[in-house]
Amino acid sequence: MGPNIQGIPFRLGADVVKSTIKNGMGGGGMPAFAGQLDDAQIQQIVDYLLTLTRKDAGTVTGDAAKGKEVYASSGCSSCHIVAGKGSDAGPELTNVGGLRGPSYLRNAVLYPGTDLPQARVFLETGGLLDYLFIHVVTKDGHSFDGTRVTEDSFRIVIKDANGKFLSFQKADLRELKKEPGKSVMPSFRAKLSDPQVNDLVAYLASLKGAQ
Amino acid sequence: MRIARYVLLLSLVTCTAGPAVAQNVPYERILHSQSEPQSWLTYGGSYSSQQFSRLKQIDKQNVSQLKVAWIYQPARPVANLESSPIVADGVMYITEPPSTVTALDVRTGLKLWSYSPPLPEHVVSIGLYATSRGVAILDDTVYIGTADSYLVALAAKNGAVRWRVHVADNAMGYAMTGPPLAVNGKIIVGSAGSEAAVRGFIDAYDAKTGKRLWRLWTTPRPGEPGAETWGIGAPESAGATTWNNGSYDPELNLVYWGTGNPAPDFNDERRPGDNLYTCSLLAVDPDTGTLKWYFQFSPHENHDWDSDEPAVLFNATIDGKPRKLVGFANRNGFYYVLDRTDGKFITGVPFVKETWAKGLDANGRPILNPDQQPTLGAGTLVYPSITGGVDWTSPSYSPDTGLFYVSVHETGAYFIKGTGNIEPGPPKGIVGGGGIRALAGEQSYGAIRALEVTTGKLRWQFKLLAPAWVPVLSTAGGLVFSGTDEGNFFALDADTGKPLWQFYMGHAARSNPVSYEIDGKQYIFETAGNAYLAFTLP
Repeated sequence: MGPNIQGIPFRLGADVVKSTIKNGMGGGGMPAFAGQLDDAQIQQIVDYLLTLTRKDAGTVTGDAAKGKEVYASSGCSSCHIVAGKGSDAGPELTNVGGLRGPSYLRNAVLYPGTDLPQARVFLETGGLLDYLFIHVVTKDGHSFDGTRVTEDSFRIVIKDANGKFLSFQKADLRELKKEPGKSVMPSFRAKLSDPQVNDLVAYLASLKGAQ
Repeated sequence: MRIARYVLLLSLVTCTAGPAVAQNVPYERILHSQSEPQSWLTYGGSYSSQQFSRLKQIDKQNVSQLKVAWIYQPARPVANLESSPIVADGVMYITEPPSTVTALDVRTGLKLWSYSPPLPEHVVSIGLYATSRGVAILDDTVYIGTADSYLVALAAKNGAVRWRVHVADNAMGYAMTGPPLAVNGKIIVGSAGSEAAVRGFIDAYDAKTGKRLWRLWTTPRPGEPGAETWGIGAPESAGATTWNNGSYDPELNLVYWGTGNPAPDFNDERRPGDNLYTCSLLAVDPDTGTLKWYFQFSPHENHDWDSDEPAVLFNATIDGKPRKLVGFANRNGFYYVLDRTDGKFITGVPFVKETWAKGLDANGRPILNPDQQPTLGAGTLVYPSITGGVDWTSPSYSPDTGLFYVSVHETGAYFIKGTGNIEPGPPKGIVGGGGIRALAGEQSYGAIRALEVTTGKLRWQFKLLAPAWVPVLSTAGGLVFSGTDEGNFFALDADTGKPLWQFYMGHAARSNPVSYEIDGKQYIFETAGNAYLAFTLP
């Protein structure tokens, strides 16, 4: 039900994670654990989360050959490239099995945008998120959505759902909204059965470079 | 090659107005640098380290037209380019990391001469990288401190070596990255190396001969004043290195120099006490090397918050009285105003988010919050991060606006305690006694902040995507120049912070922006990546 929380203290900060465990998410989401867990126990959970890595976690339970069929029939290639075939609106997946473990891949299929990898590493920080969902409104009232391609203090470039690059001067924007948790990719939660998801994850996990 | 050099010089002389290479910068010229804003004679633009230019041809109205005039790139790519130039009489002196000095024609960016010192195959650089933030000039000589800790004097007109003296043992971890300070016949230098657990010092050398005139150790030995602040069990006081540039007040005849962290950084078990004179500002008599006063910003420091940023000297009226003051935006997140005659604390306020201190007491000593020290395992989240509210990058003070401009880091980090062993002898690796884990980029940002110079009160800010490592320049044209880690170089309205111009240089900026004038045209200088760029109006 919930998002993948591997590595989450690195991205949100331990204080935010501790507060979330203590107070819950509200709105019918994660319950508050204050009263059930004391501060030391919550800290132990955060310490444990810090030990998890994203890349190697999880096990493959599905059938990769069937997963390849799910991939083809679900329209994945309209946004992703595998071994030179497909479109490039989303990230290329030719080597995704070498980069991401099954748990991460499952989460990406079911809850796109909730666990983004960090990309550009600045000297002092852990880097900005890759594929961050961006909503902008220009001063003349036009709205655009897409994933962040690059950004500096004055400009931002996003890629829309059609794979088109859109470049903006921040001074020309009325609104610039960064929305971690959202994605231009649809969730396949309601579109695929559990076995289909398992098979698709098995296929993605098997992609380890061009054949 | 020699023939080619003569041809180049000849062409400069015949094709441009004014002398190309006649160089003489006596002490009096540096003393009165405010009367020749066309030059940039010291690291911070003047002995006050104000990073302020009185030039005003480039102003709020026309800065949007600023264009690249020239780009210089070294023959071999350089890394960690943090070089601030000296500009005098048509020549710019830059450093190319690790320790090359190059003279450029300021009109064209063409190279006049270059000097590379002999460096050992393996230069030790612990807890830092082998960079050079610039040279000093005095009379007809240019001075550089090298990565392997030599001080070298070069003829300003052609780069010929006048003398070269050994300052400290690089094998033990000493490395020189900061520019020397030239004061009245003396060349004053510091050194880096706290992470290698060396003992800091400030040295003065005779500008003509290279003879060492004095050395002021910045940590005490048993029996010396301050030794009691290292605890009975302290094996060797270590740290308080002096790896950036100093400031100078000629009327008080005091040099002001900041010191770095105690060693090891994050594990304090073997150094109880305040650990003098780490993380301090020292006021030193340049004639004798005597310590006149000190102010310790972060007693018993555990977060690597050095105090090596150049101190900004300024005069202002407080409670109706004219005062000689020093402003210091410290890495620990507090902005301080001190009386520079005696080091007395006047005020101090946070200029970034900080969680380690409740505030400062009447003497400026931090009132610590509990649970903000490095811990074993996952560590402790503390604001600011290891690089502090600002690190070594110079702030700027404009006497026109009365504002202190600083490029700040708004981020925290998990500080992790590790083992704290320091063994005498050549360092075998970073001996910080722990480390940090940075927060993610989305949780961090940078900003140019304008503080009222006597109070530290925030007047305006201009937010940056990421914490930047870029010094600031303000000008009489009503502008503030700085850069970003992403590669932008930009100008803001000094009164409001409104952005007026930006140029994408393609790589992170790092050097002091400086300004100079030649042939009636004002230039602005910055570096990025492998490039040294000069900008001017069309």
